[in-house]
Amino acid sequence: MGPIARARLTRRMRARVAAEGGFTLVELIITLAILLIVVASLSSVLVSATKTEVDANNRFQAQEQARTGLAQLTRELHCARSVTVTNTPGTSLAAGSSGSRIAATLPSTCTTSGGVTLFVTWCTSASTLNTSDWALYRVTSTTSAPLCSATGKIKWADYLTTSTPFCLPSTTAACGGVLRPSGSLPMLHVAMPVNLKGPGAIESYNVVDDIALRNGTHT
Amino acid sequence: MRSEQGFTLIELLIAMVVLTIGILALIAAYSSGYVALNRATRVSSARLIADQQMERFRAVQYSAVQLNTTCGASCTEDATFTGDPAYSSAAQVTGCTTTDSTCLPTQTKTGPDAKSYRLDTYVEYTCVSGTLTTSPSLSCGSGNPYPVKRVTVVVRSSSLTAPVREASTFTTFPTN
Repeated sequence: MGPIARARLTRRMRARVAAEGGFTLVELIITLAILLIVVASLSSVLVSATKTEVDANNRFQAQEQARTGLAQLTRELHCARSVTVTNTPGTSLAAGSSGSRIAATLPSTCTTSGGVTLFVTWCTSASTLNTSDWALYRVTSTTSAPLCSATGKIKWADYLTTSTPFCLPSTTAACGGVLRPSGSLPMLHVAMPVNLKGPGAIESYNVVDDIALRNGTHT
Repeated sequence: MRSEQGFTLIELLIAMVVLTIGILALIAAYSSGYVALNRATRVSSARLIADQQMERFRAVQYSAVQLNTTCGASCTEDATFTGDPAYSSAAQVTGCTTTDSTCLPTQTKTGPDAKSYRLDTYVEYTCVSGTLTTSPSLSCGSGNPYPVKRVTVVVRSSSLTAPVREASTFTTFPTN
């Protein structure tokens, strides 16, 4: 590039810089106003999407815990010969009454008994995560049916909205509207509604199942 | 090089529209996760209802594994019931005289998610090997084992993309 051409380019650049007006104040204000409207509407959508995500997470956790707990309970009771439902230790509840604690004896051949005769207690205790909710615990002993206050208990589910999920139906006393069929094995009715939203408003997912004790006797 | 005047308002608007589309796409990803979770909730609710019904059959004795088809309106088998592949009029096991949950062909149940589900129960004789004949007597043909009862539980709902099915066979062995 020759010196003349270079001088022409420099002149042109200078002219361009001088002609650059940028935005006028009015343009800037209009732009900002539009941007504000867009961002405001978007942010409200984003906030609700985030809330949805948190809600979905809570629901998933509460449901998953309840199902996992129920699956373990089911597996264990399938192997038990009998089960008792109590509120106060030592006093078995009548058929059709809901209780907070079940006690079952697992023969040593059961997959969850660890090769010895095992006394298993499933019970509810106040939740440490959400006031007025309950947690489901499992505690075992090789000597006698342990209490819910025993050490070494393991939590299987939380955010239960009832403290009495267990009930033994008879042919005349129903649990949750369900009677035990005549001549059937002993059955345990489990109803554990879980608080879906975790800490906060209650929206319940009501896990209900009947578990037949396969090693029991038909009556 | 064209004289550059900064962005025009039109350019700016176009850029913002593009940005909005991008952000909306991100939000759509959130909501699709929510839809998937809802679907999973429906399926697992239906599965729980099916499990509960099947568990009741496990509790009763072999002779009690049968349906009640003569109790009037609540035992009516509609076209949806008889249109299922698990249904066979000839092989159906009937004889239950109660309206116990195990005996009713079609029931309406409320799932854990408080939604309503339709629970269809089929109890049919079936052969492990051989072909089932019901006349003159129930048989799977000479040399084949005696027919077993197959219980099929089908949970239907408009909020399920496909019915949830569960099947199990029951025999008299050893003493139940």
